[in-house]
Amino acid sequence: MDIYVCLKRASWMVDNTRMRTASNFQWLLSTFILLYLMNQVNSQKKGTPHDLKCVTNNLQVWDCYWKAPSGTGRGIDYEVCIENRSHSCYQLEKTNIKIPALSHGDYEITINSLHDFGSSTSKFTLNEQNVSLIPDTPEILNLSADFSTSTLHLKWNDRGSVFPHHSNVIWEIKILRKESMELVKLVTYNTTLNGKDTLHHWSWASDMPLECAIHFVEIRCYIDNLHFSGHKEWSDWSPVKNISWMPDSQTKVFPQDKVILVGSDITFCCVSQEKVLSALIGHTNCPLIHLDGENVAIKIHNISVSASSGTNVVFTTEDNIFGTVIFAGYPPDTPQQLNCETHDLKEILCSWNPGRATALVGPRATSYTLLESFSGKYVRFKRAEAPTNESYQLFFQMLPNQEIYNFTLNAHNPLGRSESTILVNITEKDNLIDHYYLEPVFELKRQPNFVLLLQGIRAVPSKGPDTWREWSSDGKNLIIYWKPLPINEANGKILSYNVSCSSDEETQSLSEIPDPQHKAEIQLDKNDYIISVVAKNSVGSSPPSKIASMEIPNDDLKIEQVVGMGKGILLTWHYDPNMTCDYVIKWCNSSRSEPCLMDWRKVPSNSTETVIESDQFRPGVRYNFFLYGCRNQGYQLLRSMIGYIEELAPTVAPNFTVEDTSADSILVKWEDIPVEELRGFLRGYLFYFGKGERDTSKMRVLESGRSDIKVKNITDISQKTLRIADLQGKTSYHLVLRAYTDGGVGPEKSMYVVTKENSVGLIIAILIPVAVAVIVGVVTSILCYRKREWIKETFYPDIPNPENCKALQFQKSVCEGSSGLKTLEMNPCTPNNVEVLETRSAFPKIEDTEIISPIAERPEDRSDAEPENHVVVSYCPPIIEEEIPNPAADEAGGTAQVIYIDVQSMYQPQAKPEEEQENDPVGGAGYKPQMHLLINSTMEDIAAEEDLEKTVGYRPQANVNTWNLVSPDSPRSIDSNSEIVSFGSPCSINSRQFLIPPKDEDSPESNGGGWSFTNFFQNKPND
Amino acid sequence: MVPTAGEPAAGDSWGMLACLCTVLWHLPAVPALNRTGDPGPGPSIQKTYDLTRYLEHQLRSLAGTYLNYLGPPFNEPDFNPPRLGAETLPRATVDLEVWRSLNDKLRLTQNYEAYSHLLCYLRGLNRQAATAELRRSLAHFCTSLQGLLGSIAGVMAALGYPLPQPLPGTEPTWTPGPAHSDFLQKMDDFWLLKELQTWLWRSAKDFNRLKKKMQPPAAAVTLHLGAHGF
Repeated sequence: MDIYVCLKRASWMVDNTRMRTASNFQWLLSTFILLYLMNQVNSQKKGTPHDLKCVTNNLQVWDCYWKAPSGTGRGIDYEVCIENRSHSCYQLEKTNIKIPALSHGDYEITINSLHDFGSSTSKFTLNEQNVSLIPDTPEILNLSADFSTSTLHLKWNDRGSVFPHHSNVIWEIKILRKESMELVKLVTYNTTLNGKDTLHHWSWASDMPLECAIHFVEIRCYIDNLHFSGHKEWSDWSPVKNISWMPDSQTKVFPQDKVILVGSDITFCCVSQEKVLSALIGHTNCPLIHLDGENVAIKIHNISVSASSGTNVVFTTEDNIFGTVIFAGYPPDTPQQLNCETHDLKEILCSWNPGRATALVGPRATSYTLLESFSGKYVRFKRAEAPTNESYQLFFQMLPNQEIYNFTLNAHNPLGRSESTILVNITEKDNLIDHYYLEPVFELKRQPNFVLLLQGIRAVPSKGPDTWREWSSDGKNLIIYWKPLPINEANGKILSYNVSCSSDEETQSLSEIPDPQHKAEIQLDKNDYIISVVAKNSVGSSPPSKIASMEIPNDDLKIEQVVGMGKGILLTWHYDPNMTCDYVIKWCNSSRSEPCLMDWRKVPSNSTETVIESDQFRPGVRYNFFLYGCRNQGYQLLRSMIGYIEELAPTVAPNFTVEDTSADSILVKWEDIPVEELRGFLRGYLFYFGKGERDTSKMRVLESGRSDIKVKNITDISQKTLRIADLQGKTSYHLVLRAYTDGGVGPEKSMYVVTKENSVGLIIAILIPVAVAVIVGVVTSILCYRKREWIKETFYPDIPNPENCKALQFQKSVCEGSSGLKTLEMNPCTPNNVEVLETRSAFPKIEDTEIISPIAERPEDRSDAEPENHVVVSYCPPIIEEEIPNPAADEAGGTAQVIYIDVQSMYQPQAKPEEEQENDPVGGAGYKPQMHLLINSTMEDIAAEEDLEKTVGYRPQANVNTWNLVSPDSPRSIDSNSEIVSFGSPCSINSRQFLIPPKDEDSPESNGGGWSFTNFFQNKPND
Repeated sequence: MVPTAGEPAAGDSWGMLACLCTVLWHLPAVPALNRTGDPGPGPSIQKTYDLTRYLEHQLRSLAGTYLNYLGPPFNEPDFNPPRLGAETLPRATVDLEVWRSLNDKLRLTQNYEAYSHLLCYLRGLNRQAATAELRRSLAHFCTSLQGLLGSIAGVMAALGYPLPQPLPGTEPTWTPGPAHSDFLQKMDDFWLLKELQTWLWRSAKDFNRLKKKMQPPAAAVTLHLGAHGF
C-alpha cells in the first residue's frame, strides 16, 4: 500500500509537471504569434514608402520627400504619380521629388516602390495646407561698420524673383555682442517681395562704440503670403557675420571728441591690454562694465551740459591714463531779432541774437550763413567778427538793380541747424520792410535821387486777390477767404483789403481790413450775394475779384477715393460745356471741423485735370477734396473725394471683443479704427487664430507657422463680426486681429479666449449610463419576477419541515394513538447533512471567530501568535485574512482570525474614531469598537481596562497593550514583530479600525485616536 | 633739490612783490639798457632773474585758471599723468651732474631755445582757448615771456654769445600734432604749463648762478660809477 501510494504520488507529480510544461509552451507560443503579428503589421507599414512631407521655399515648386520602405536596400526605384487634372507619373531613384506647386484641393499621390523583393505602393493625400513654406536661408551680402558713428550697415538680397506673388516679408535681424554672443538687439524689418531680386539695406546705430567689442549679425526671414494656406515657417538663421575693430592708433577710449545733445545717454568704452582700475566722468566715478579681455565700458545717463572745454572721461590703469572729451550741448536756437538795415545803400547790415547758448565753442560753435535767395549770394559769419554773444552781425553788399532781398540766416552746429528769414524791400520811400517772420527795421536814408528813381515803378495792385468763400458751420455767416497777392502783382506793400457783399436788395461791406488778415466773416441771409474783394496798396486799389455766394445743389454725389502719386494728387474730370467759369478744387484735412478749408486752387474752365500739390500734405493724413464747377456765377459741387497723398499702415490695431463663446465657436466683434490712426483706406483685416496660452509670446503666433495657426483675410470692410467655428471645447485660443491698408499691415491686437466646455456631451455622458442602468435594472426585475418560481427552486428550495421528518413520522406512527403514553424521544435529527466548509467569506468567519475564539477573550497572548512576514508593504490587498496559529488558541482548540487592512486603503482613519468616541460613552454596554478601547486603554491603566472587559459585551480580537508591549524576550524577535506593526494593523471587519494604538503620543492625530502612516514612518527610525 | 646759495625763500612774498613791482616798472627799459650795453651784463642778469621770478608768480595764477578750464581731473592737485604725446616740448628736467657741467653759453642757449619753443606753443594755446578772459590772460603771459626771451637775448649779447638758430626775429610756427584728439591736446596743454613752470624754476637757478658769477665785475662797475661821482 505504501508503494501504491508512492507510485500514485509519483504519477501525479509527473502529470503535474507535464501539465505545467504544456501550459508554459502555450503561453510562449501565443507570445510569439502576437509578436509576429505586430511585426507583420509594422513591417507592412514600413515596407511601403511612408511619411510623405512637402516643403516649398518659393511657392512654385514643392519638394516632397518620404521615407524609404524599411528592409530594402539602396537600389529602389520609385514611381510617383500625382492624380492631377492630368495623371502624371515620374520615375526616380531617390526618395524625394520636386513637383510644380499644385493649386488648392486634395491630390492623391501614389508612390510605388520597386525593389528586389517586389513592389509596394503607398497612397497619400496632398493638400497645400500640408505643405510648409520655409524660405531659403538668407545670406548677408555685406556687413560694414562706420566706427565714427558706431553704425552697422547690413546689406542682403531678398531673392524675390523666385516668388510668384507679392508677399510681405518679415526679416528678423539679431545683433550679438562680445565673444560670448550676448543678444543686444532683435529687430523686425518688414519688406515686400515684388517679383525681382532686391537689395535691402539696414543700418543700426549701436549704443556702445563698435571698437570695444566684437559685434555679430544674423538674419532670418518669414514670408507672409496671403495666398498660401500651408504652414509658414521662419527660415534658418543666416551664417553669422561679425565686425571687430583693428587697433590702429593710440586712441584707447571711444567715442572721441563727440558732440551730443544734453540729456542723452551715452556709453564710453576703453580698449586696454592692462586692467582698468577706475573710470571718471568729471568728478564722478562710474561703475565699470566688463567687456571682452580687459576692455571696459561705462554708461552715462542723462548727460549734463559740458563746460567750454568739454567734459573729460578718464580711464585709469595701474600706470597709465586714457581719456576722451565729450561735448554736451544744444542745437542752435532760431536766430532772434534778425534785423537788416542800410545806412549808405551800399551794404546791408544784418544783426541778430543767437538765442539760447549752445554750450559749444571753438570749432563746434554755431556757424551762420546769410543767404540772399534771389541773387544766390551769401556771406558767412566768422567767429572772429563777433567776439561776444551780443554782437552777431553780417554785412551784405547790395546788388545793382535789385530792390527786394530775401535773406535767410542759417545757423548750424554739429547738433543741428535752424534758420530765420527776412524779406527786405527797398523800393518804398518810407522806412518800410515786408516781413514774414520777424520785426525788422529797415532804415533808408532819404536821398532825393533814390526817391526820384523809384517813383516810376509804383502802381496799384494789378489784380484782385484769389478769393473763396465758405458758409460757417451754423450756416449764418459767410466766411470770405483770399490769398495774398504775389509780389509782381501787388506792386508794393498791400496795406489793406476791402470786402463787400451785394445782392439785389442790399450791400454790406467791410473796409480797411489790415494786410496780414486774409479772411473776413459777414452775417448774411441765404440770398444770392456777389462778394468782391479789393486789395489796396499805398497807390490805390486793385480791380475787384468777385465770387458768388450761391451754391447750386447737386444730388448726384458720391464720395470717391483718391490716392496721391508722389507729392501730389492727380484729379481728372470730364469736360462740361456748362461750366463757364473756373473750376475750383478745395481741400482740407478731413479730421478738422467745419468749415473745412486748407487751401483752394482755381483751374481754367477748359481744363479737365490738375495735380494738387502742397507742402502741407503729409503722408497718412486723410484729406477731403471738393471739385466745384462754376456756372452762371454760382458754384456747384461736382465731386467729393477723400484721399491720401500716400497711404501708410495703420498705427493701431482694431479694438476687438469676444461677443460670444460656445464650446466650438467664438464670435468676435471689432470696432472701426479712427481715421487719424488708419492712415490709409482700410482694405481689410487679417485675423489669426490658433491654440495658445497666454504665456506664449505674441510673435510666436505669427512667426511659428504652426499648423494650427489659421489666417482669415477679411476683405469686406463693412464686416464687423466674425464667427470662428469648428473649435475644440475648453481650449485656450489666441486671437490676433490686424487691419491693413495699401500702405501696409498695422500692428496686432491679441486676445486669449477659452472656449466653453461641451455641456451637451457631458449631459449625454451622464444620461446614457444612468438610462442603461435603469433599463438593466428593470429588465432584471422583470426577468426575476417572471422566473421567480425557478429562482425560488434554484436558490431557495423549501426547507423540509421537521414535522415531515421520517424519523418523526416514524415516531409519530409508532407513537400514534399512544401519544400521551410516551414522551418524544429526541434523537439527533439531521435532516440535511450541512457541512460547514472553510469558505473565504468574511462574515461567517468573523462570527465564528467572535463566538468561538477564546483568544478574543485573552488578547494579551496574541502578540506571541503573530506570524512573521504576513504582509509586506508593497502588497496591499484591501483585506487580507489570515488564520493565525496561536499556541494559546491551539490549546483551547480554537482558531483566531485577524484581518489586516492595508493602511493606505483605509479611509478617514482619524475621523471615524472620533465620531464613534462621541457616540460611545466609555464603559457603555453593547457593541464596543476596538478603537474605543485603543483610546482608553493605556499601558498604565490595565486595571481599568480589566474593569472595562467585564462591562463590555463585544471583545476585541487583540489587546492593544500587547501590540505595544513587545517584550525583548518574547519568542518572536522585535524585528519580526515590528515589521508586522509597520505595514499592517489588525482590525475588526466591522469597525474597520486599527487595533494598534497610536505610537506617537505627540501627534495630534494620535491623541484623537487616529493613526497615520506617515507619522509612523517618521517615528520608526527613532524607535 | 639742488642746493642754491642766496636764492630767496619761497615764503618771502612781500619783499618779492615789491621787487617785482620795481622790475615791472623798469621792464620796458631793459632792451634799451641792453642796447647801450653800458653797465655790463650784471644788471641785465639781475633783471632777467627778477623777471623769471615774476613770470613764475604770473604762471601760478594762469595755470590755476587754465587747468580749471581744462576741467577735472586736470585741475586736481595730485593729477600726474604720464607724458603722452608731449615729446616735442623742451624738457626742463636734467640730471644734476649734466646741469653742473654746462657752461654759461650753453646754459643761456638752452634757456633761449626752450622759451622760444614754449612761447610758440603758448601762442597756439591762446588761439584755441574758448573764453575771452582766458585769451587775455594768455596774451598777457605771452607778452611777458616774450620780454624774458628778449632779456635772455640781451644777456647773451652782453656776454658776447651768438643767438642760436633760428633767429629770434622769426616767429616760431605752431604746428599741432597729427590728428590730435581733444583729450591728448589737453594732456599737452597740461604738460606745457608744467614744463613752463619747471623751466622758469630752472632759469631762476641758472640766472642766480650767473649773477653770482658775474658779481665781481658788477661790483667793479658800481665802484667805477661811484668813482665818477666823486
